[in-house]
Amino acid sequence: MANTIIKFNGVEKRYGDTVSLKKIDFELEQGKFYTLLGPSGCGKTTILRILAGFTDASAGTVTFKGKRINDLPANQRKINTVFQDYALFPHLNVYDNVAFGLVLKKTTKTVIKQKVSEALRLVRLSGYAEREINELSGGQQQRVAIARAIVNEPEVLLLDEPLSALDAKLRTAMQVELRQLQQRLGITFLFVTHDQGEALAMSDEIFVMNNGEILQQGSPVAIYDEPINHFVANFIGESNIVKGKMVADHQVEFVHQCFECVDAGMRPNEPVEVVLRPEDLDLTSVDQGNLVVTVDTQVFRGSIYGIMSHDHAGNHWLIHSVHQSTVGRQVGIYFEPEDIHVMRYGESEAEFDARLEQYEGEADEKI
Amino acid sequence: MKMHGWHWRHLYLIFVFALLYAPIFYLLFYSFNQGTTMTHFIGFSWRHYAELFADTRMIQIVLDTLLIALLASLLATIIGTLGALVIYQVKRIWLKNSLLSLNNILMVSPDVIIGASFLIFFTFFGFKLGFNSVLLSHIAFSIPIVVLMILPRLNEMRQSLVDAAMDLGATNWQVLSRVVFPFISPGILAGYFMAFTYSLDDFAVTFFVTGNGFETLSVEIYARARQGISLEVNALSTLMFLFALILIAGYYLLTRYTTTKRRQRRYQLEAKIKP
Ligand SMILES: Nc1ncnc2c1ncn2[C@@H]1O[C@H](COP(=O)(O)OP(=O)(O)OP(=O)(O)O)[C@@H](O)[C@H]1O
Ligand SMILES: [Mg+2]
Repeated sequence: MANTIIKFNGVEKRYGDTVSLKKIDFELEQGKFYTLLGPSGCGKTTILRILAGFTDASAGTVTFKGKRINDLPANQRKINTVFQDYALFPHLNVYDNVAFGLVLKKTTKTVIKQKVSEALRLVRLSGYAEREINELSGGQQQRVAIARAIVNEPEVLLLDEPLSALDAKLRTAMQVELRQLQQRLGITFLFVTHDQGEALAMSDEIFVMNNGEILQQGSPVAIYDEPINHFVANFIGESNIVKGKMVADHQVEFVHQCFECVDAGMRPNEPVEVVLRPEDLDLTSVDQGNLVVTVDTQVFRGSIYGIMSHDHAGNHWLIHSVHQSTVGRQVGIYFEPEDIHVMRYGESEAEFDARLEQYEGEADEKI
Repeated sequence: MKMHGWHWRHLYLIFVFALLYAPIFYLLFYSFNQGTTMTHFIGFSWRHYAELFADTRMIQIVLDTLLIALLASLLATIIGTLGALVIYQVKRIWLKNSLLSLNNILMVSPDVIIGASFLIFFTFFGFKLGFNSVLLSHIAFSIPIVVLMILPRLNEMRQSLVDAAMDLGATNWQVLSRVVFPFISPGILAGYFMAFTYSLDDFAVTFFVTGNGFETLSVEIYARARQGISLEVNALSTLMFLFALILIAGYYLLTRYTTTKRRQRRYQLEAKIKP
């Protein structure tokens, strides 16, 4: 990659006996929006801290524009951070907090003034320059923290759950603002969240993490449509996951029935897991459906109904439908072969990619 | 019922304060006595104050005492602040705890022992007793107080504040001067005032290390009281009491000053914006 700005190579982090990060490898390209997504305690903040220089990697190298920066102190890295706990300076008011980095760089007063007010406008806090930090709400403090980081226009911006304290409306507005800012200034963003909706909406690339490992990396669409394992499928969006068997290429068996699918490249009769997204399932009559289920509960979610049901083998199925159904009624569910996604047990991302390339190549030859 | 409880609590407070302040006010009252004893109040007069201001030896001693207190607390604050920063930085738990214990032992050990050990120390090295020996020992026993006032403030400070300053490009010195010092400044100020008062009224340690020719106030008053107390001491006590009041008011105003100033500036600004 020509414009790789940051590279992690076999980075590990141990605290005494506990391992927080196991061999992390990734590359960030200049000007893209990346998201680290994972449950609490999986090591997201640790990755940011290593990248910003607040803590050392126990092993591995971190490079910035091709240069190893493991030993470069934090104050010399062209990286700024929005901290998870905001870390605003309590003895300074909003203006002086935001101006902090610029003052240290000996920027002229007029430029500072103009940049600070621009940054405050961006985070919708224009009238608040003279406020003390302890006179702000949690969400306002969080936005001051964002302003304090972006005002320096760093090459890489690390954001540790920067929108977690905001209400839904402000959150969406700030998501749009941040995305626009990132695209306008061409800054590389590394954004941490455990909100999968936020990750899908904002990112160019998502890293899904668990237990100190990156499980899968890809565009939001790729990760949503082709999760490599149970954890990713469950963590990103809602899904129905059932056990099945790969009878042959493009033939998968689950709930004692055989279905046509688009996946291939596995051993004959290999046990697999099958993912079907609730929005890909259509309600129909019993004789037109691929599967027959009984409706258990039904929840109205605003634009759709969430219908929980079970089949005769005891699997639960969540269906998203614009039409209402009746609790206790038998209905059919219908899906296309493309809606079925097959996951192998214990397959790594590299193996998954290799297999995908292989059978897609075969498919092209046939045509 | 509510009124009743309120009433009793206040009575209790009044009682305690009366008990605490009665001896002091008794002393102050007799400083205005025309007579020379503390048993009969004959009439009002300033004569003991006049005596006090004519007593150049006493005035000199008051000035020396203040000078010692100012210098000792200033130097102790500087050394103690650096000491607190060092203890805060120490990562190994056992080392940190030992340093803290060493600090606390000095706090709790009796003044007499500290004074005696200073005397032995100074005479062993042939150090001449006088202003310098008093100053040094006052600095020494004030440092642990300053450390103890500053450490809790430091521990309150989140590590991420330092990280954030570094992140925004601050050098180590800038982190200290722009983030750490402002954050712990209330502790530094409190430590300074504590050290000042400790130095001002120390008797036991000073008694050991003054030597001939140099006195502080407490040692001098002690010496005079042994010969039968003169009401000149009462006059001095009154003035010292007023001085302490002013000191406390000053401390209070100083701690309020910064926030009030900034708040006022903001209110003015916001008032200007609003029609
Ligand atoms: N200073 C430390 N000492 C020991 N263990 C630590 C330290 N910092 C973090 N850890 C451990 O490392 C793991 C990863 O922590 P990290 O802060 O990176 O999680 P996170 O993904 O940011 O979680 P969250 O979403 O809750 O912020 C956790 O299990 C945590 O307990
Ligand atoms: Mg975190």
